[in-house]
Amino acid sequence: MRKTLLLLGFSISIFGILAFSKSYFTPIYFEIPKGFPKPIYNFKDNPLTEECFQLGRKLFYDPILSKDSTISCASCHLQQTGFTHVDHDLSHGIDGEIGTRNSLTLQNLAWSKTFMWDGGINHLDVQAIAPITSEVEMNENFENVINKLNQNQEYKDLFRKAFGTKKITGQLTLKAISQFVVSLTTSNSKYDKVIRKEEKFTDMEQKGYNLFKQNCASCHKEPLFSSNDFKNNGLQIDITLNDFGRMKITQNPKDSLLFKVPTLRNIEFTFPYMHDGRFKTLNEVIKHYNSGIQKSKTLSKELLIPLNLSDNQRIELVSFLKTLTDNEFLFNPKYSFPKK
Amino acid sequence: MTKKIVLFILCFLFFKSAIAQKEKDSLCFRIKLKWKTENLELNKNYCSKNDTLQFSLLKFYVSGIEINYDDGSIYKEKNSYHLIDFEDDNSKIFTISKKENKSISKLVFNVGVDSLASVSGALSGDLDLQNGMYWAWQSGYINMKIEGKSNSCKTRKNAFQFHIGGYLEPDYAIRKININCNNKNQIDLVMDLSKLFEEINLSKKNSIMIPGKEALKIADLSTKIFTIE
Repeated sequence: MRKTLLLLGFSISIFGILAFSKSYFTPIYFEIPKGFPKPIYNFKDNPLTEECFQLGRKLFYDPILSKDSTISCASCHLQQTGFTHVDHDLSHGIDGEIGTRNSLTLQNLAWSKTFMWDGGINHLDVQAIAPITSEVEMNENFENVINKLNQNQEYKDLFRKAFGTKKITGQLTLKAISQFVVSLTTSNSKYDKVIRKEEKFTDMEQKGYNLFKQNCASCHKEPLFSSNDFKNNGLQIDITLNDFGRMKITQNPKDSLLFKVPTLRNIEFTFPYMHDGRFKTLNEVIKHYNSGIQKSKTLSKELLIPLNLSDNQRIELVSFLKTLTDNEFLFNPKYSFPKK
Repeated sequence: MTKKIVLFILCFLFFKSAIAQKEKDSLCFRIKLKWKTENLELNKNYCSKNDTLQFSLLKFYVSGIEINYDDGSIYKEKNSYHLIDFEDDNSKIFTISKKENKSISKLVFNVGVDSLASVSGALSGDLDLQNGMYWAWQSGYINMKIEGKSNSCKTRKNAFQFHIGGYLEPDYAIRKININCNNKNQIDLVMDLSKLFEEINLSKKNSIMIPGKEALKIADLSTKIFTIE
C-alpha cells in the first residue's frame, strides 16, 4: 500500500512537471510609449511571449527562409540602419538579383495598418511571405520553408517551447516572425526625450522643429512621423522602372504614383530615400520638396506650393530630423543577431 | 462486482449511442471533379469547342456551407473553409455535422474565401498560407487555381494559369452557389470543368494572376459548373 502511494505520488509529480514544462510561456507586456496612439496590431490574436519572440528573432536572422540559404530578412533589414538596406537604391536579394524598390524600414510596425510601399499587404502576419516568395528576394516556396523547418531539430524544439506543439505550420512560423518585428519600437530619440521634457533642443533643432511642424507634419504625423496614407510626392517617374505605386494594387487611376508615407524615425541612417532610393542625402530630399516637385493629376495637395526654404532653414530642418535618431533602438542587443 | 458490470454496460451503451448519434448527425460531402461525364484526370487531353487542353493543377475553396431543410430551417457550418485539391483525395471527402435527420432541400456554399478571413492575418488548417492559395505581394486568398497546358496558348511551355481571387470591391470574386437537392446523408457535389472551358478561348485568354475584371468573368462562370449528383 505504501509502495503504491509512493508510486502514485511520484507519477503525479512527474506528470505535473511535464505538464508545467509544456505549457509554460513567459509573457511579454507590449509597452505603448507615452504619447503614442493605440497600436493597430491585435496582440490578442498573437500574445507576445519571450519564447516566441526569440523564435521569431532567430527566423528573422536565418537564411533558411531563402531558396539557397543565402538571404535572411536581415540581409535587407539591418538593425543599425533602422532595419533597412542602406547604400542601395534598389534592394538586392538572391543571386544578386535586384528588386524594383528601396526596402522600407521596420520600425513601430505595431502602428502600421498596411505594409509595403504600395500598401498591398493588409496584415503584419502575412507580410513575410512576400519577400520569402519573391523571385528577386528569397525565391523560396513557403511550403518548402515549412518542410525545412520541420526537418530541423533545433527549430522543432524552439517551436515546441514557443507554442507547445510538435508540428511546425505556416501560421505559427508567420506569427513568430511577427512577434519579433512588431516588437521593434523606437521611442527614445532626442525628439522623444524633448517631448517628455527630459532634454532640450538646441536653438537650431528648435527652429527646424518649427519648420517641420509647418511644412512636413501634415503627412509625417507625430509621434510616429508617418501616416497610414498614400501620397504622390511629386517625384518624376523613373522610366526604367515605371512604378505606379498604389495603382498596381487598387487598379484605380486615382492611385497612380501614390506611395506609402514612410516614417522619418532614424532617417539619418536610413538612406537612400524614396521608394526607388533616388536621393542619397537629406539635403537632396529637402531640395526636391523645395523646388523639384513635378505636377501631375494625383499630386498631393499639400505639395502644390513649393517649400521655398532658405539655405539656413534647410540646415535647421536637417538638424531637427537628426534628433529622430534613437541609438538605444539601433544598438539594442535585444534586437540584434541572436548569439548562442 | 455486479455494480462494476452494470457500470460497464451503462458506459458501453452511452458511448455506443453517442457514436450512433454522431453517424446520424453527420453529412458526408464528396467532391467529384469531371470533364462532362468522365472523371477528370491530370495530364490527360480534353477537347472543348475551342481548344485541346490538359490540367496539371486544380485547387479551390468551398466555404460558408449552409444546409437548407425541407421544413425551412437552415444549418450553417461553423468555421466553414474547405480547400479542395485535385491531388489530395482526402480533401475531396469531408463530413459536416448537421442538426437533425431531416431532408435537405437546398445546398448553399461559396467558392472562395470571404473578406473577413482575408484580412485576419495568418490562419491555420485549410487557410494556412503554406497551402499556396494566397497572394504574397497583394494580400488575399486565391479562391481557385487552375493550371495546365494547351497548344492554343502561345506562352512558355504552352501553359495556362488561372489564379482567381479578390476580396475587395469592385473586384470581389467570391461567388455564392445555390443548388436544390433532396439528399439526406450524403452530397455528391460535381464540378464539371468542361462547362467552364467551353466559355474560354485559351488562345486569347490564358493567364489571370491578379484580381480584376478578367478574374470576375471566370468567377461568374464558375457559378454554373456545380451540380449535385
